[in-house]
Amino acid sequence: MRARVIVGGVVSSIAVLVVGWQLGGQPAVTAPAQQSTTSGAGTTGSSTGTGTTGGSSATGTFTGDTTQTRYGPVQVQITVANGTITDVTALQLTNSDGRSVQISQQAAPILRQEALQAQSAQIQSVSGATFTSEGYTTSLQSAIDEAGL
Amino acid sequence: MIDTARPTRPTPRHSGDGAVRGTLPPAEPLEVAARRRRRAGRRRNAVTDLLGILAWVSAAVAVMLWLVSPGSHTVVGIGGWLTDAGIVAGLVATDLVLVMLVLAARVPLIDRTFGQDNAIAVHRSLGKPVLYLLLAHGALLTLGYGASAGTGPIAETIALFSTPDMPLAYLALGLFVAVVVSSLVAVRRRLPYEAWQVIHLLSYAAVLVALPHMLSVGSVLAQGTWQRVYWIALYVLALGLIALYRFALPLVVTLRHRIRVVGVEPIAPGVVSIHLAGRDLDRLGTEGGQYGVWRFWTARTWWHAHPVSFSAVPGCDRARITVRDLGAGSARLGRITPGAFVSLEGPYGLFTSRARTAPYLALVASGIGITPVRSLLEDTDLRPGEATVLLRGTDADQQYLWHETADLAEVTGSRLYTMVGHRSRSRESWMTEEDVRRGVSLRSVFPNLLQSDLYVCGPRAWSDLVVREARTAGVPEHQIHQERFES
Repeated sequence: MRARVIVGGVVSSIAVLVVGWQLGGQPAVTAPAQQSTTSGAGTTGSSTGTGTTGGSSATGTFTGDTTQTRYGPVQVQITVANGTITDVTALQLTNSDGRSVQISQQAAPILRQEALQAQSAQIQSVSGATFTSEGYTTSLQSAIDEAGL
Repeated sequence: MIDTARPTRPTPRHSGDGAVRGTLPPAEPLEVAARRRRRAGRRRNAVTDLLGILAWVSAAVAVMLWLVSPGSHTVVGIGGWLTDAGIVAGLVATDLVLVMLVLAARVPLIDRTFGQDNAIAVHRSLGKPVLYLLLAHGALLTLGYGASAGTGPIAETIALFSTPDMPLAYLALGLFVAVVVSSLVAVRRRLPYEAWQVIHLLSYAAVLVALPHMLSVGSVLAQGTWQRVYWIALYVLALGLIALYRFALPLVVTLRHRIRVVGVEPIAPGVVSIHLAGRDLDRLGTEGGQYGVWRFWTARTWWHAHPVSFSAVPGCDRARITVRDLGAGSARLGRITPGAFVSLEGPYGLFTSRARTAPYLALVASGIGITPVRSLLEDTDLRPGEATVLLRGTDADQQYLWHETADLAEVTGSRLYTMVGHRSRSRESWMTEEDVRRGVSLRSVFPNLLQSDLYVCGPRAWSDLVVREARTAGVPEHQIHQERFES
């Protein structure tokens, strides 16, 4: 009788796990798009800006695309004065769970500092926050494009 | 020595007790009854196996729900592997904790098919593995997050502590450690029962304070996913069964039957029969051989619940239990005054004729183990010659309830043997020295042993020896019924 439980239990557990594996077989990661796009599976929304663009003297705030990552959406907004990025604000950060929130909150100040220094989206990603970093730079690039910098 | 005469006091035997037998219901042939019992036994086994398989599958479903969640198939680096292993350990541990709750909930279906004592035995065997899984869950996730973030375990632990709900999770882990450590055999033996019980109640707190971090930090249970719905439903089910069968139902039973002590009768040194009165006690549905968990509401005894067998099948307004002072708590029971209010959880137990699967019946009892055996004999439909009873006691002081049992044996046409004397010292045996020398065995006492249901109740070490001999003699496992008192 015990043997029947163990055999039955093991067999049906394996069946359940195989089903789970198959169901979860779809691509699990929605990788952030490499270039800023205003359409496509991985990116939603469009960049919008208020302010004047043209030449290198753009001024105002520009919002980047929302980038979907495995741990939730990332979207940043930049403030530009006379062609210089003066501030980067994260409107959305990876938030799928408490762990992601913790990571993105650690990474956001570092990424902001890097962006302000580099004045571009060519910044190093923060280790341990790979997905947040990729989403951040992608959204940042689209905002910079919008501003026409 | 084995003695076929009635215990202690010789009584005239009926030359022809046909009159008594005439009052029995028309006899179902032994073989027909055995076939019916075997069918019922197979049904019980099927239900038990199904529940066992369900427990396995629930653990697999826990892992499956993680497998279907996004991101589980993409493992990044060594940190990813550690993190994933930690998540799986946590999910399986949580599932097993819920299984343990259900096993301890005294669900009637489980008690009737598997026996509450067996359920508690499984509950106990799960304690340590679950604790290891929980510790692994914490350690693996700390190392995994640390490896991904490039921080050490200590820095990572500090970071985790500052995450919302995580301090509660650490508290839950601490509580689980306390609960399991207090239940280790070596520790539990040294703790007073009440201390152990209070610590054990903390496991409810541990289950509850562990929940927030699963819902907020655990990515598998993120808001708006059906995984979250499944887990919450599982929690509601497990805690609901506990609330229903461990708290609500006993309360209803207690209030409905209004049981009171009407008399405390010392029947041997250290042994008392407690006579109880109440309303509609026959409607408790007590089967002979069952026990209840009793609490006597007097100033000195209310905080201790006692699992005690019915020593007679309850009548419509009377019931009787018999207790030996095994511990400090039960010694106080002898001093209960009549009128004390009694609360009852139960009746529970599968040491009843419901569990039978064979044509004949063999009952073996020692010491206070006589109580369920006596009420079982009282409550079983028996053909003359179907049952054989063996009573064992060290000396004359241990022969309480023997007369009643002998009377029941006579009424039902059962054979009764007694064996009085100290246990054999020359070798490990459940018999007296003299009977060992004479070559007595279970098969010599019970000629139909292999076609019998063997019910054994007595001190644990002694009854284990009886059961061991039965197994060696070839009695099938489903015909062996052992009452474990410590549940």
